[in-house]
Amino acid sequence: MINFDKVFKRYPGNMDALQNINLSISAAELVFVTGPSGAGKSTLLKLISSVEKPTSGTIVFENKNLSQLKAKDVPYLRRKFGMIFQDHKLLYDRNCFENVSLPLAINNIGGIYINRRVRAALDKVGLLNKEKIMPISLSGGEQQRLAIARAIVSRPSILIADEPTGNLDKEYADEIMNIFYSFQQVGVTVIISTHELPITPVKHKKIHLINGELKDQANYVQLLS
Amino acid sequence: MFNYFHNHFLAFNIALVRIFSNFGSSLMMFLVIGITLFLPSSGLLVVENISQISNNIAYDAELSLFLKKNIKQDQIDFIQLALGKSLIVKKNHFESKLTAWDKLQNKLNLNPLDIGISENPLPDAFFISLNTFNEKEINILISDLKTIDGVENIFFDAGWVKKLRSILYLLKIGLAFLAIILIIVLIVVIGNTIRLQTLTHKDEIEVSKLIGATNSFIQKPFMYTGLIYGLGGGLITICTLKLTIEIFNKAAINLEAMLGGSFILKNLVWEQNLTIVLIAMLIGCFASFFAAQQSIKKFEIFK
Repeated sequence: MINFDKVFKRYPGNMDALQNINLSISAAELVFVTGPSGAGKSTLLKLISSVEKPTSGTIVFENKNLSQLKAKDVPYLRRKFGMIFQDHKLLYDRNCFENVSLPLAINNIGGIYINRRVRAALDKVGLLNKEKIMPISLSGGEQQRLAIARAIVSRPSILIADEPTGNLDKEYADEIMNIFYSFQQVGVTVIISTHELPITPVKHKKIHLINGELKDQANYVQLLS
Repeated sequence: MFNYFHNHFLAFNIALVRIFSNFGSSLMMFLVIGITLFLPSSGLLVVENISQISNNIAYDAELSLFLKKNIKQDQIDFIQLALGKSLIVKKNHFESKLTAWDKLQNKLNLNPLDIGISENPLPDAFFISLNTFNEKEINILISDLKTIDGVENIFFDAGWVKKLRSILYLLKIGLAFLAIILIIVLIVVIGNTIRLQTLTHKDEIEVSKLIGATNSFIQKPFMYTGLIYGLGGGLITICTLKLTIEIFNKAAINLEAMLGGSFILKNLVWEQNLTIVLIAMLIGCFASFFAAQQSIKKFEIFK
């Protein structure tokens, strides 16, 4: 589904964020991108979602070389991803329903479908009763669940989460991770960057980065800590 | 197609919410646009009213028809008959050379013997008032009259009307320049306001881009904001024009008795008022389109 071939990413100032990355992610896989701060986890996710372009090498997604993607095609690519961020990136002047419906409006989906799909997404993350509430009134865990609802409402084939539990207590973090596992179970590819690999009850892949280099890429049935 | 209009409706709704949530500053924007457009619009109003007056005065334009010195009375009668039959001649007045000579002597207090004039130098003449200002019709009448035996010269006495019209024409050109300059000012002011709004909504723009919004999708609410600014400003312009006319006409009626006549301003016709509003909306839309486009490009996260 996603293939990295000899990918380098260099920022101005000759700082190598990623060096010679070769990896492959299959459909319906649960992938953890791990490593310490500055290892290049976020850069890897940015390259997948075309927020950044690689300095060299090729990234192929659905037979398209993302390195050669034109700027005008980027929005249409991003619609295939559901993106979740550590700081949620919610719109705080719009209520929960309006936040979740935004990707549908962007995807030109309107009318009766909006109501049905937004309510389904909110139901999936346990926020159906809070659709008219402003995000600022929600707890950190609820805000992240709202961000997940926004990411899944347009039924993407890939969920990309950058440190989704970084700001959350363990209880909320487990709750969020369980939501991701449930999506992976129904065939969605889930890519999560995290400092520490959580206790994971499902089959998954680990991509471990240190100083921009791929140190380990392995499949696990179950990993404890 | 339904989704397309639904998205436009949503963008319009977002624009309305933004305008009402900052109603104070939005009202200021309406006033800026309204008063700026009031200047050329009031100029147009004055020019239109003066044009109407000049058109009315044009009916009193005259032809002066001078006859040959040796013309016979039956020829003069024939010309009078011909003038009487013309549809564009309102009235005609025959002035014999003797009467004209007497009038001139009395007016200038002349004695022909003192200045060495032995005979009357003036010709017989007809002074003709016309009921049209259509140059084509007048030229046909002049060429017809020139073919009549005994006619020496014909003068179309409309120079001052032409001068007035030239002045009005220059005024219109001046107004057009003023309007262009003020439109540029409005584009800058509205554009700058929209640019600031894009900065206020920077987070929203970035999030929208991250989840796949195109620039045109993000631009829509800003364009509708500009359009609504234009609508509000245009309506303020025509309301201010109406108010000005009311105040002016009330003052004119009060002074009527003192001055012995009055000048009543007439409002622009509804098509002109509609054009002012549409131009204001177009300016708002145009300015916001370019300002939002340039500003949103700067938030590009794809590098």
